[in-house]
Amino acid sequence: MKRTKNFSLLGATVLFLTIAQATFAADSGNESAADKQRKFIAILKSDAPPQDKAIPCKQLAIYGNKEAVPALAPLLADKELSSWARIALEAIPGPEADEALRTAVPKLQGLLLVGTMNSIGVRRDAKAVDILAGKLTDGDVEVVASAAAALGKIGGKQSAKALNQALSSASKQTLPVIAEGCILCAERFLADEKFTDAAQLYDAVRKADVPLQRKLEGIRGAILARQSDGIPMLLEQLRSPEKAEFGMALRTARELPGSATTEALSAELKRVTADRQVMLLLALADRKDSAVYPKLLETAEKSFKATRVATLGLLDRFNNVSAVPVLLNGAIDEDADIAHAAKSTLTRMEGKKIDAALMDRLPKSSGKTRQVIIELAALRRIEAAVPVLLASAVDADPGVRRAALATLSSLGSEKQVGDLVSLISKAKSADDRDGAEKALAGICGRTGTKAVALVLPLTKNNDSELRKSGLRVLAMAGGPEALGAVTAAVNDSDESVQDEAVGTLATWPNNWPEDGAVAEPLLGLVKTGKKRSYQVQGARGYLLYVQENKKLSNADKVKAIDDLLPLLKQPPEKRLAISALGGIPSGKSLDSLSTLAGDPAIAEEASLAIVNVATTKGLQGVSKEARQKALQTAIANSKNEATRTKAGEALKSIK
Amino acid sequence: MKTTPQKRQRRHNPLFNRRGFLKTTLQASAFASVAPMVVHGAVLGRDGGVSPSERIVMGGIGIGNRGRYVLSCFLPHPDVQFVAVCDVQQKRRESVKKMIDDQNGTKDCSMIQDFREVLARTDIDAVLIATGPNWHATLATMAAKAGKDVYCEKPCTKNIAQSLLLRDVFRRTGRVFQAGTQRRSLPNFMFAIDLARFGKLGKLHTLYAHPGGLDPKQSGWLPAEPEPEKEVVDWNMFLGPAAWRPYNKKLMDAFNFEKGGGLVGGGCLEWGSHCVDLCQWANNADDTAPIEYEPKDGQLHAKYPNGVKLIMRNDGWLKMGSCPVRFEGETGWVETGDNADIAASDPALLVGRGAKIAGYPADFHVRNFLDCVKSRGMTRANADVACQAHIACHAANIALYLKRQVHFDPVKNVFIGDDEANRLRSEALREPWRI
Repeated sequence: MKRTKNFSLLGATVLFLTIAQATFAADSGNESAADKQRKFIAILKSDAPPQDKAIPCKQLAIYGNKEAVPALAPLLADKELSSWARIALEAIPGPEADEALRTAVPKLQGLLLVGTMNSIGVRRDAKAVDILAGKLTDGDVEVVASAAAALGKIGGKQSAKALNQALSSASKQTLPVIAEGCILCAERFLADEKFTDAAQLYDAVRKADVPLQRKLEGIRGAILARQSDGIPMLLEQLRSPEKAEFGMALRTARELPGSATTEALSAELKRVTADRQVMLLLALADRKDSAVYPKLLETAEKSFKATRVATLGLLDRFNNVSAVPVLLNGAIDEDADIAHAAKSTLTRMEGKKIDAALMDRLPKSSGKTRQVIIELAALRRIEAAVPVLLASAVDADPGVRRAALATLSSLGSEKQVGDLVSLISKAKSADDRDGAEKALAGICGRTGTKAVALVLPLTKNNDSELRKSGLRVLAMAGGPEALGAVTAAVNDSDESVQDEAVGTLATWPNNWPEDGAVAEPLLGLVKTGKKRSYQVQGARGYLLYVQENKKLSNADKVKAIDDLLPLLKQPPEKRLAISALGGIPSGKSLDSLSTLAGDPAIAEEASLAIVNVATTKGLQGVSKEARQKALQTAIANSKNEATRTKAGEALKSIK
Repeated sequence: MKTTPQKRQRRHNPLFNRRGFLKTTLQASAFASVAPMVVHGAVLGRDGGVSPSERIVMGGIGIGNRGRYVLSCFLPHPDVQFVAVCDVQQKRRESVKKMIDDQNGTKDCSMIQDFREVLARTDIDAVLIATGPNWHATLATMAAKAGKDVYCEKPCTKNIAQSLLLRDVFRRTGRVFQAGTQRRSLPNFMFAIDLARFGKLGKLHTLYAHPGGLDPKQSGWLPAEPEPEKEVVDWNMFLGPAAWRPYNKKLMDAFNFEKGGGLVGGGCLEWGSHCVDLCQWANNADDTAPIEYEPKDGQLHAKYPNGVKLIMRNDGWLKMGSCPVRFEGETGWVETGDNADIAASDPALLVGRGAKIAGYPADFHVRNFLDCVKSRGMTRANADVACQAHIACHAANIALYLKRQVHFDPVKNVFIGDDEANRLRSEALREPWRI
């Protein structure tokens, strides 16, 4: 990079700044803003190459003041640095920067002129109106566009006058860009609540022969600037057969404030076609005006499907308890879209009043309505519903029973466990039994060991299906008593119960170390499991226990796996062990894997695991020699080219 | 012995507890989903064939890797037809044309080098903008002014001023805008947000967002290299509104070039434009932004006008994939991320959580955009929403850059009594570009 002698003093700082995409945090050192400014000005005034001046321009945007302006102003005519200089000149407060930009305008042409006028617009320099107005008749459309936009951003009557005049005499090429300036200027009037001035400009644009988009912007503005007097114009647009005008009217309907607007739009609902009705409803709801609520409620109750779905989904915005009956009615509708919309809204609506309204209806309800209210009790977590749920769990309606049991699963406590155990024992159908088991599992999952004693009798029931249910529920509860019962069931008289017990043990809750006692029965399965599948499941469960037990150190884990290895007879089980060892970044695991790599049946998996462990980022406590030895073992035993290459590269990288 | 909050969280975190995981699954499947509807197709009559007059004609601008993915989410919709691809790089134009032509079964997709030609076409209703962040706001507003609806990748703006201009232009033009913050349309995030928004967690007090980094960057200048032919790479158009510098191949990574901002960019914008955005929504704060921002212990702490705290942190998350968020209230908490798992203080909170859709697909977000193009409704990540979320990120970045606390007025959109911070709110665009 070319550098000049003048900047040797600035040294590393400047060099750093010229490296693109570099990170620049604000300097929190002792250098004051004034010192920084002096330094950057010196760079700009020097004969440094442009790349050295670029970042100082940016820094002057933060640390510069009027003293920096004379150094920045000449760069406005520099093709490479103009955009950098304007970054600072747009940001530096005070009239000096404005004057520098204004002064540059007559001296510049083309893109540099455009950029400078753009900056004047951003700074909203009112003193520049005359000079910008003079550019509205320039032969270069880009220059006219820039001047018009700048005038629009500056705003005010003087700008408006210039733009309005230009609009009426503009050429076909410049008319669209001058119209944009007019719109910007009108927006400024609107923001300043100068409604008459705004309306005049908007009207001028919408009546001119401008592109459709500008016309639409004029229409919107003309409506907003007229405030409530704009309602007729808004309705006229809503009735337009043109999609673009209707579309802009919908946007404007969201913006024009006032209850009179809401009323007029609500009344308009009856006039519009069905497809437009939904769109208008969405716009009405976005107004967040409570005056629209009665109309929405009415529509949610009585209208065709698409409108009902839309309206039901909007009622939560008002959170009015009077919507509950209408929503409940929708929630039991046979049409899935309607039911989903209503139920979702009932779920979202906030507050105890809504809960109370639902609970008030629960005792008197039946069938589908009762089912939906019970489901909502779960979705809204209404604990007051629990007493009714047990009764509903034996309701004649299967849908109600299913909902009640599912809700008990999430809302019930250990107090309901005894009743549910009784219920599951008496269940007349598989569906009811399944529901009761899930309810028990849900409660036990949340309450832990509290209810184990109440569940244990299930594991001694004569019915093997109930014994299996009991095991599954106990797995959710955990703890020593549950574990004891499940371990005992491995020797149950019924083979299917044995299967269930082994599966449950192999996936015993990994609440380590609380459930660490499962290691012993799992090892027992590996050693003496009646079936080979029991031995495999035992090994898998044991390895999972080892891997996820946060109390075990890496060395403990490797030792536990090493102890298991002699019991593993087949390659699939050994591969499980390799997988576990491969996740333990330690020298011991490398040793074990190196041994396993000597077994041709599992050499590939072990070799790959060696490479992965040996190349683990931040691998600590393993000597260079140990890693080299392990990698050489991988190369010697693997026949896979990719593994060997990876191992070779790793070897080379070890220095 | 007292347990620390972190320990309590782990104990209740289903991901650390297989029993809890089973329990969660069991309860979540007990009811049909009541997650917010992610599409409103039936409402708009989108369940049958599509006539040509109902078809949304689109053009793609700046279609690199990310753009190709989002484009692939658009193409299967029968009510969309892409007719043009625009990119400053010839190779991309050609490969994306093939992708579109293969979908359309034609050879008609236009290849365009200058996006202004796309905006000038009257047959195009909407554009997909997936250029680098350097171009997003400038291009999106130009498209709106040309009468196009816009789906724009994030980060959408480079600074606070651009955020406000983006909002104003889309209000003024009435065009539909969707920021590419697709997590706003994913069931797990929507469900978690509903828990926060509708009081299921009690009164909210703290929101957590993963920013994907907290290191604000400025961009600069690399040594000049021979500039390719304009037809191959249009360097001038690639630079666009960024300050001038010579061609250098390393800068052609549009995704990272001037990432999210020239003066103070990068930083928390990468994931913050997603995660902070979600926190804004969860706090019912889509129309405002935090009022205080302070770098603290490697995190960024912010506070909303309603007193809710927003903490951007890169670590301390449950293992739920990228872009996680966490919302804490007085009675419960919920956390979710891109693997679509949801953890909560009480699994009963997860009842009705609905489908698990991992991998943060943009399909639903794209559909929401298309539906709104038709209904002229407000998209989930409309310009007003995107404006505020980006302002929150930019303000945070400014605090990070200045390494100190800043106070922000979200009504006037200025930093209070802080000239240094206020100067960082905007940055001049290179000529001839303006917003």
